[in-house]
Amino acid sequence: MKYNYDDGNLKINLEEELDMNSCKILRDIIDGYIVRYQPKEVTIDLSNVKFMDSSGIGLLMGRYNLVKLMGADMTILNPTNNIKRVLELSNIANKITMR
Amino acid sequence: MESNNMKMEIKATLENVAVVRVAIATFISNLDIAVDELMDIKTAVSEAVTNAIEHGYDGVLTEDSTVTVIANYEKNEYDNIKIIIQDLGVGIENIELATTPMYTSKPELEHAGMGFTIMETFMDEVFIDSKKDEGTIITLTKKLKKKKSKS
Repeated sequence: MKYNYDDGNLKINLEEELDMNSCKILRDIIDGYIVRYQPKEVTIDLSNVKFMDSSGIGLLMGRYNLVKLMGADMTILNPTNNIKRVLELSNIANKITMR
Repeated sequence: MESNNMKMEIKATLENVAVVRVAIATFISNLDIAVDELMDIKTAVSEAVTNAIEHGYDGVLTEDSTVTVIANYEKNEYDNIKIIIQDLGVGIENIELATTPMYTSKPELEHAGMGFTIMETFMDEVFIDSKKDEGTIITLTKKLKKKKSKS
């Protein structure tokens, strides 16, 4: 993954396959950045994620809950069609803004 | 009728879930399969193998714990794929509860509780055969969309 912080916006660019193995590591790393920068907005870009199972739902939901708790917003960018289908099975699609 | 089969046994560790995904994707790529169907199967298998490791061996995981994955396909008018995922762990005590969408026994680990929902949505059939303290066998089947006639 890559990240960039600029003027209140923390942008996380995920590049790995999102399964339980990678999500266990990623959640600690992403939470570290969120706590360090206290952003107003967190953007998670999925354009380079080629695979995601339900662990990815857990990862995104968990970050969303933390971001909301801090009074900030979260947006998910560019999920592929296959990933969108996984996301739409959960109620995450109604909660988090997706573009 | 042409058919093919494979069997693999992995150590029950999450790193190996990606190994199974790649093996299954390669195995079924011999078929005339659409990208969406391939992704559906990869995702369902990923859920089943993750469950076997995280829940099947919950509290009883040893260095010798394994997950066995058996796959076969039959080329027919419609191609049929069957994938079996077996662990020798604790078994599922309450199948109805385990398969309820958004139910998870491990919310603190950020499990979404969507594993069985994904398997049931992305495959045609999901059979669960589980015995307490003996383990769980998940059988996933999918019939591929009608073959296009080859020109």
